Amino acid sequence: MYTEIRFMLNGEQKVYTGDPLRRLLDVLRDDYGMTGSKEGCGEGECGACSIIKDGKLVTSCIIPVGGVNGCEIWTIEGIRETEKGKCIIDAYAEGGAVQCGFCIPGMVMATYCLLEQNPNPTEEEIRVGISGNICRCTGYDLIVECIALAARKGAALWQK
Amino acid sequence: MAEVKCFIPQTLEEALEIRKEYHSIPLAGGSDLMVAGSRGAGITPAFKGDSVVLIGNLKELKGIKENADGSVEIGACTTSAEIAASPIVHPLLKDAASRMGAIALRNSATIGGNIGNASPKGDMPQPLILLDAEVVLQSKDGERRMLVDEYIIATKKTAIHDDELITKVIIPKHDFTHIFFRKIGMRRANAISKLTLSSAAIIKDGVVVDFRASSGAAGPKVARSRKAEEMLIGKKVEELESVKESFLDAWNDVIAPHAMPEYRRNTTRRMLSYFIDALIAGHGAGRVE
Repeated sequence: MYTEIRFMLNGEQKVYTGDPLRRLLDVLRDDYGMTGSKEGCGEGECGACSIIKDGKLVTSCIIPVGGVNGCEIWTIEGIRETEKGKCIIDAYAEGGAVQCGFCIPGMVMATYCLLEQNPNPTEEEIRVGISGNICRCTGYDLIVECIALAARKGAALWQK
Repeated sequence: MAEVKCFIPQTLEEALEIRKEYHSIPLAGGSDLMVAGSRGAGITPAFKGDSVVLIGNLKELKGIKENADGSVEIGACTTSAEIAASPIVHPLLKDAASRMGAIALRNSATIGGNIGNASPKGDMPQPLILLDAEVVLQSKDGERRMLVDEYIIATKKTAIHDDELITKVIIPKHDFTHIFFRKIGMRRANAISKLTLSSAAIIKDGVVVDFRASSGAAGPKVARSRKAEEMLIGKKVEELESVKESFLDAWNDVIAPHAMPEYRRNTTRRMLSYFIDALIAGHGAGRVE
């Protein structure tokens, strides 16, 4: 017998009735089939499971699903359908930011939160913006450049 | 293993009733407890007790406000990111909050959790102890207030009763002329502290009116010694040079690092020495970088 946990997931109302102490990441992947959020470290440090909770970037591996009761959650599956999400993904593709791709959903979420707050970030601000997202392939430079590209190409979107 | 029960109260009142009846483990941001209990992908983390109470979303425990006496009150479930961004929080606490983990972690981790977890490497207790901050502990039966320095007894050991919750942290007003903060970690972001140090002073008319320091990650709990600090208080700035070494020796006895002790002792000494040297050199009021 569990409390009902109600939250908005990518714009849709969800009612979850399982164990509230399960990790949000597991619920997203296993119950809702949203496998875009990845598990890297499982300790909230690598950023591969990054999602947006009430407008803030968080790591879904350290949040019990009961902790999102009443919250608005966005994952990569929702963000990629938005104009801003498409702008970031196009910039990543255009500039070749992606190698193996495992960190990229989290990187896109961090990029989204960064540009929402700061539409015209400096290189240093971009590096700080993705400082919680670890990539083992790229050495980050192309990701940083592609975020700058997303800021430039999507200037009209982010300034809104 | 029996499943751990989970309560999701809607109000602080409900949360306190749950604490009184079940003594459930309070979970705010999850950045310590969810990791400590982690059992891998797809498995619910393990918890030490029979039940957990989720308090992270309780509105009564959120927010930062300034009181009439200039003290600042921070709700226990206020996040590190909110503290780092606040214009009214003391800069030493903002320094510590802004250097915790990375962005996503700072959006989850809370000040109450950071104190309650009582890790010697916890970032916020270190400046809080320097600032003589107090925690407010509330239960169904009333409220207690005590210094963070008294609340944290040792590694993972605190003075909390099993029916209480940390509801807020109160930081008295300070008028330091000079402040100093260092966090040493393996990286600029996402680094657990190897060593931290805060120090602050009031220099007035060439006299050290106040001097304090606190060392994090250098022993079983944050180290501060009013006795050592008193060696410098009341001295004229030009006298500091002559008492500096004996003060640094005294501070060396205050800290008790068990791992890499030589490194931690030498580095602590150098950091404190750097700050005192800046005071001796007549550094202008403000932050010593």
